[in-house]
This record gives sequence, C-alpha cells and structure tokens, in this order.
Amino acid sequence: MNFEDKKQSILGYAFLLPSLLVFAVFMFYPLFYTFYLSFFDWNMVKPVKEFVGLANYIAVLKDPVTWKIFGNTVLYLVILLGFNFVMPYILSFILSNIIKKGQGFYKAVFFLPSVISLVVGSILYIWILNPISGPVAIIAKFLGLSIPFWSKTEGWVIAVLCIITTWKTFGYNFIIILAGVSGVSTEVIEAARLDNVPMWKIFKDIVVPMSSATGIYVFITTIVQGLQYVFTPIKVVTQGGPNYASSNMIYMSYHEAFTLYRTGTSAAVSVMTMLLFIILLILEFKFVEKGVYYEN
Amino acid sequence: MKTKDLQLGWHTLLAVIVFLMLIPIVFAISNSFKTLQDAYNTVFQVIPLSPTVQNYIHVFQKLPFVRITINTFLIAATVTLFKTLTSVFAAYSFVYFDFKGKGILYFVMLSTMFIPFTVTMIPNYLMISKIGLRDNIWGVALPQLADVLGIFLLRQSMRGIPKALIEAARLDNIKHLKIMRDIIIPLVRPSIISTGIIFFINSWNEYVWPVLILKSKENYTLSLALQMYISAEGGTEFTIAMAVSVMTMIIPLVLYIIFQRYIINTFAMSGIKG
Repeated sequence: MNFEDKKQSILGYAFLLPSLLVFAVFMFYPLFYTFYLSFFDWNMVKPVKEFVGLANYIAVLKDPVTWKIFGNTVLYLVILLGFNFVMPYILSFILSNIIKKGQGFYKAVFFLPSVISLVVGSILYIWILNPISGPVAIIAKFLGLSIPFWSKTEGWVIAVLCIITTWKTFGYNFIIILAGVSGVSTEVIEAARLDNVPMWKIFKDIVVPMSSATGIYVFITTIVQGLQYVFTPIKVVTQGGPNYASSNMIYMSYHEAFTLYRTGTSAAVSVMTMLLFIILLILEFKFVEKGVYYEN
Repeated sequence: MKTKDLQLGWHTLLAVIVFLMLIPIVFAISNSFKTLQDAYNTVFQVIPLSPTVQNYIHVFQKLPFVRITINTFLIAATVTLFKTLTSVFAAYSFVYFDFKGKGILYFVMLSTMFIPFTVTMIPNYLMISKIGLRDNIWGVALPQLADVLGIFLLRQSMRGIPKALIEAARLDNIKHLKIMRDIIIPLVRPSIISTGIIFFINSWNEYVWPVLILKSKENYTLSLALQMYISAEGGTEFTIAMAVSVMTMIIPLVLYIIFQRYIINTFAMSGIKG
C-alpha cells in the first residue's frame, strides 16, 4: 500500500468516525450492557448487582403473563402486517395497474399522517372511537349498532391500538411499495393482460414476485418498527391494560424497567425480543431472499 | 362496462381511505375551537357554532407553553443538524473511499435498524443520568446525533452521481472536503433537504426517549405536554388536548406541505436495495 492509498483509507475512517462513535456509545455498548444486566438482579439504585445466572430468563419464561404478552405480540404482528403490508401492496397494484390516475395525490394524502406525532394520533382516536360520545359510536347507534368498550376489552384493545399506529405508518409503507410495484415492467403485465390472465393472478404471479425485494424490506421493517411504534399508543392509552391485554414485548421491557425497577427481567425480555428479530431476519435470508427478484 | 364499475369501486375505496386519513386532523382543528360542551353535543358540526380560543388561552396560562415549544425546537434542530452532518460524511466515506472492512462496517451500521429501543434504554438512561443530563433537553439530543437511515438514503443518492466526475476532480488533486462541498452536496441537495426535514419532524414528534429523560414541566417537549391531557375515557380537558394537538402538528404539517415532493421521492427510494 503506498502512501497516497494509506492517506485515503485514514481519511475514509475519519469521515465515518463521528457516526461510528455515536453508534458505539449509544447503541453497541448499551446492547452488551443490557445483555450483561440480564444475568443480574438489580433495580438501578442498589449499589451491588447480584449475579443470578439464567434466573431472570427462567422467571420470565415461567411467568404465564409472559406467554399472554407473547401471544399479544403475535396478534399485533398479524394485524399490523395486514394493515401495513398486505393492504398497501394491493392498493399499490390497483393504483399502478388498474386506476393509474391520481398517484401523486394519493401518495401525498396517505403520507400526511406520517408527519404527525403518535401521541396526537392516540388522543384523536380516543375521541373518535369513544364508545359513548365519539362520532363513530353516534353513527353506530343511529344504525342500531354499538361499539365495544375497546380500551377495556381483550382483543379489541389490540385492534384499536393497531389502527392508531396504522394511521401513522400506512402511508410510509405505501409509497415504498408503490415505488417497487411501479418498477415492475409494464410490458410483462400488458402481455399477460392480452392473454386474458385475471388481475389477481397477475398480482400474485407476476407483480409480487418481481417486486419482492421491496416487499421483503417492508415486511421486515413492519415487524421491527411496528412493534416499537405501537408502544406509544399502548403507553398513552392503556398502559398495557386491562390485565396485560394490550402489552407487547416492547412494552413489557419498559414496564419492568421503569415502573417495577426490575432491570434484570427487563433486560432479559429485551434480549429475547432482539432474538426474535434476529430469527426473523435469518429466516428471511434463508428462505425468502433466494427467490427474490432484483432489478438490474 | 364491467371494468368501469370496477374502477368506480376502487375509486370509492381510495376515497374512503383518504377520508379516514384526513378526518382526524379536521376533527382536531374543529374541536380545538369548541367549548367542551359543544364538543360533546355538536359532534358533527365541523365548523364550531360558537368558536372560542379559550382552549388555546388555557394552554398558555396553565403551562410554560412557549418554553415547551422552544425545548422541542432546540432538540429537533440540534438532532437534525448533527444527524445531517454525520450522515453526509459517513455516506461520502462509504461511496468514495476504499478501505479495509468497509463492507462489514456498513453491514454493522445497517444492523442497528434491528435493535429495538428497549435494548438500549436502560444503559442510555443510566449514562445520561450519570453525566447529569437527566431532566435536561440535551440529554434527549445527545444519544441521537447519528442516524443509519440518513446514511443509507444519502449513500443511495450519492451513488447516483457518475463516479467519473469525482475521479476527474481527484486527478486534479482537489481535496475531498472541497469535492464534497462544491460537487457532491449541491448535487444531492434534494436528498439532504428531505432527510433533514424527516429528522426534524421525527425528533419533533419523539415521545419514547424524552418521556424517560424529562421530568419537570418546564423541560417538557410538546408530545409530553400533550400526554398530560390524555385519559382513555376522553376526560374533561379533551378540547384543551385538541388545542395542544393542533399546536404540536402545525410545524410538521407546514414543513410537509412545503417539501412534500422531495420527501416522498426520497422515501420511495428507501425500499430499493443497493
């Protein structure tokens, strides 16, 4: 390596250094420290951390509440994927191949709630979906229906918190998927249409496979970001209640650490959450990535 | 004929979604100018029968609201400035330098996207407390001075610039800092502006980290101030909450409306792998 090359690589590292430093101090060091804390009994103030081995993990796994929360987490994921992955995918296809008009307008409007705070979204929906005095309840009453006391009803509470989150995240996913779907060659689609292939088949057999690189990106981010986004409505609307019915693994970590001051269990749950994300990522690379179609 | 009907059906569906997206915002603005009584009794009266600014006055009287807005702005501006700077440098390094471990470093940085905030919150909370920045707006800003999405997006758009342009400049012995300032930054300005605006808006709306760090009202940000008025039952301060909501969303909305095209184009790019 000559002198000029050496100078170049030093400068390359130097340009990266500020970002790396921030990530190292506030991402990677905490990652290891949380892993470390998961083997100790502590409450953030006691001077001594007591080593307990795997006891925190065992306690978490033995607690029936954990399994309820794990079930909630899966339910959150299913609903969020339906609203933020399947729905925008179908709509993107419709917009780019059936309607073809007004894309710019729809993109702009769907994305608009993405710039608004989820705390604002939560409070707006608390009112809109108020089971007695909210506009939806009034319309339902007019039609002879009633809406459930969702904030106190298992199942419904998760559905509503997902709706609040979707209001914010839908447009973001939509414009990304639309970009992917629009990238699919129109000639292929036109040829299939001339052969009288039904639209849903074109979607399933041509568009989805050919836009799968984008699709998988959105699928993964919906899982990883979705669970974290939904934290805000959980925290401000239900605090995980009633009886843990709206808690998920992210909220559980927070609750253990900052309400119950059990850093060990909180850290164990966080580590398990991250393991879940890693498993999903590996599955993605193993089974899906191979069949992915990349442009260029 | 059949396809026409189908088209109409889809148009209706899209119109319904547009309605669902916008109606909460319309309700928020409308209710913020109503009395509590009117908000409950004239739910569908979008234009208030007897408009009042009482809710807004209340907010300024009961809360250090100017201070809270300034706090939110200072955090968002600091975070935006630093994130943009660090992202421009990192993206430039990834695109225009060759060095050992570049691929691994890029992968490691991207992987931070998959770290849930719960994994970092306790150590970061302890660190910020230890250096005395708890209940301080700079404690909110400090851990967020770099951003992987910014690096990713700016790298994407820098890769769109013909390499020959930079190589020619290098042959003329022009320094990297000068190339960055005079060639690269002007060419990727739309991406820089839109990532910057997204940084600003996200920080403005941020809730999870500030709620851990900020304790006293005069250090609150807008999202935290708003949270005080929330109860799952609706509550008696509901119209005041609407006024705070309107004041919280006005800045992001204005920014979005001005820079809408930039923002959407930049984000549409983020799903395309490279």
